[in-house]
Amino acid sequence: MPGVKPSTVPGRLLAEVVSMMKIRFLDPNGVENVQERINSDPEFRIAAKYMSQDILIAADDQQCIFKVRDGVITKIMVNPSPMEPWDFFIKAPEKSWELFLRLLPPPFFHSLFGATIREDFRFGGNVEAMFTHYWATQRMLTILRQFQNEPGGKS
Amino acid sequence: MRLESITGKYGYITVHGVKYRVYFEESGEGVPLLCQHTAGGDGRQWRHLMNDEEVTSKYRVVAVDLPYHGRSLPPESVEWWTEEYKLTKRFFMDFLVEFSHALGLDRPVFIGCSMGGHMALDLALECPDEFRAVIGLESAEFTPGLDIIWFNHPRISGEFRFANLFESTAPSSPEKYRREVGWVYSQSAPPVFRGDLHYYSVEHNVTDQLHQIDTSRIAVYLLCGEYDFASTPEMCQQTASKIKGAKYTEMKGLGHFPVIENYELCKTYLMPILEEISKIHG
Amino acid sequence: MKVIFLDSNKLDHLRNTINHDAEFKLAARYMSEDILLEADDSRCIFKVRDGVLTEINLGPSSDDHWSFSIKATAESWEKLLQSSPSPFYTGLNAGLIRGILQITGNEEVAFAYLWAMNRMLDIMRQTS
Repeated sequence: MPGVKPSTVPGRLLAEVVSMMKIRFLDPNGVENVQERINSDPEFRIAAKYMSQDILIAADDQQCIFKVRDGVITKIMVNPSPMEPWDFFIKAPEKSWELFLRLLPPPFFHSLFGATIREDFRFGGNVEAMFTHYWATQRMLTILRQFQNEPGGKS
Repeated sequence: MRLESITGKYGYITVHGVKYRVYFEESGEGVPLLCQHTAGGDGRQWRHLMNDEEVTSKYRVVAVDLPYHGRSLPPESVEWWTEEYKLTKRFFMDFLVEFSHALGLDRPVFIGCSMGGHMALDLALECPDEFRAVIGLESAEFTPGLDIIWFNHPRISGEFRFANLFESTAPSSPEKYRREVGWVYSQSAPPVFRGDLHYYSVEHNVTDQLHQIDTSRIAVYLLCGEYDFASTPEMCQQTASKIKGAKYTEMKGLGHFPVIENYELCKTYLMPILEEISKIHG
Repeated sequence: MKVIFLDSNKLDHLRNTINHDAEFKLAARYMSEDILLEADDSRCIFKVRDGVLTEINLGPSSDDHWSFSIKATAESWEKLLQSSPSPFYTGLNAGLIRGILQITGNEEVAFAYLWAMNRMLDIMRQTS
C-alpha cells in the first residue's frame, strides 16, 4: 500500500514462536470440520449471502483454496494444483499466521487490514471482490482463529 | 422511560459564505469540551462520554456533526451531487472555530479522535488562543496511504465499512461496542468517509511544524490505542516527542476508537487528563 | 417524438453532453460497462470506459457485447424521455417495478450504477 511502511515484529514475539506451528485449517484431515464450522456460523451465513468466490490462503509454501458458492463453503482444497483457479489470495509467512491465529492476537495481527498495512500479510488478485465480501472473509478468518485454539489444535 | 441527559439541537452557521444547518448534542455543565468525531463518523461516537456524570459534572460536553455527517445534512445551497466531497483543513478548522464562537464557548477544551486527533494538532498550531487545551486521540503528524478507492465505490456497499472499521478496534474490547463502531460507519453517506480521508491521509502533514506548538498557550495531550494500525503508537509517540511540553499516553488494550469500543477502559486514561485540565485550565 | 438514442444525427451531441455532466462524472466513476438499450426492435449500445461514454453504437450486431440491457417499447421510451415525465416514468427503478421496462443481463452491475443510468436518462430528457 503506497506510503505505508510496515513495522517490524517485535523480537519478543518472534522469540515466542519456538517451533513450527501446525495450522489446523491446512490439515487435510480436518477440512470437513472447518467447512462445517464456517457454514454453521450465523454471522457468516449473513455476511456471505450472494458470495461466490474462490479464496486462496497461503502460509509460506502451504496453500489451500476455500470455494464459496452462494454463501456456502462447498469445498476446501488443501495443497491444490497450480491449475486450480482462485479469485483473490491472502498470504503470510507461517510465523505471522501463528500470531494472527492467536485467540488474543498481538497488535496489528488482529485485523487482516492491519496485518497487511503494518506487517507482512498480503492480499491480491480480484481485490474488488475481496472488499465486496470483506465481512464474510473477515468472519471466516475469525472462525479459523477460534478453530485453531480449540483443544488439540497446536503441535 | 429512562431519559439520558443528552439534548440535541439544530442551529445555523455560515462558513466560507455557505449557510449550514448543523446538529449538535450537549450534556453537562462546566468547562466547555468540544468533541470531534472521526472521518465518516458522527457525534453518536461520544455517547458514552456524554453520559458519564463524572465528566459532565465538570464539563459542558458538546458534540457536533460536521456538515454532511450524521444529522447535519449537506447545505441546501450547494449542488453537492455534482461535486466530489473532500474535507480540507481550512474548512474543518474554520467550521470548528465558527461553531465554537456561535455557541459562545469560552476557549473550550477540544477532544478529537482520528481525523479529530489530527485536527487537535492543527488547532494547537494555528488557533492556540481559541482553545485552552487539545486532546488528540489516535493523533499523528502524517498518516499517508489510507484513502483507498474501495471506501467509496459503486460496487461496494457500506457493509465493507462496517467490517473494516469493526476490525480497527482492539480484539479485547466488548463485542457489542466494537460492532457499534462498524454500524455508525456503515450508515455514513457513500462519499463521506473517503472524502474525509482526503484531510486525514492526503492533506494533513505537520511533520515539520510541530516544534512551533507552544504548550504554554495551549496544553497538548496525545493518546493512542495499542491496537491502532492506522496511526500506530510508534507514530503517535514520535509526533508527541516533537512537541515540547506535550504529554503522550499509550492506551493498552484499545484500538482506533477508544471512546466507543471500550469507554470504561478509555476512561482510565482519559479521566486523569480531564481532571488535570479542569484543575489547571478550568 | 423520436427516441433520442435512436437518432443517428443526435448521438455525438448526446455523448458530449453526457461526458461533460458533473453529476454523471461522479456517478459513473470506475464504470466500464456496455449497456444495451432496446426500443421495440431497435437497439443501441452505450459503451462506457472508466466513467466516460466512449461510443454510442446504433444498430449493433448480435456479436456486440453488452453487460446489461434496458428494454421497453418505443412508446414507453418516449414517455420515459419526456422532459416532465408522468408518474412511474420518472426513473429506471420506478419503471421496472411498474413493468414499464425490463432490466436483463448483469443486474448487479445495473443496480450498482443506477445513479449513473438515471442521470443519463435525465440528460437524454434535457437533450431531446
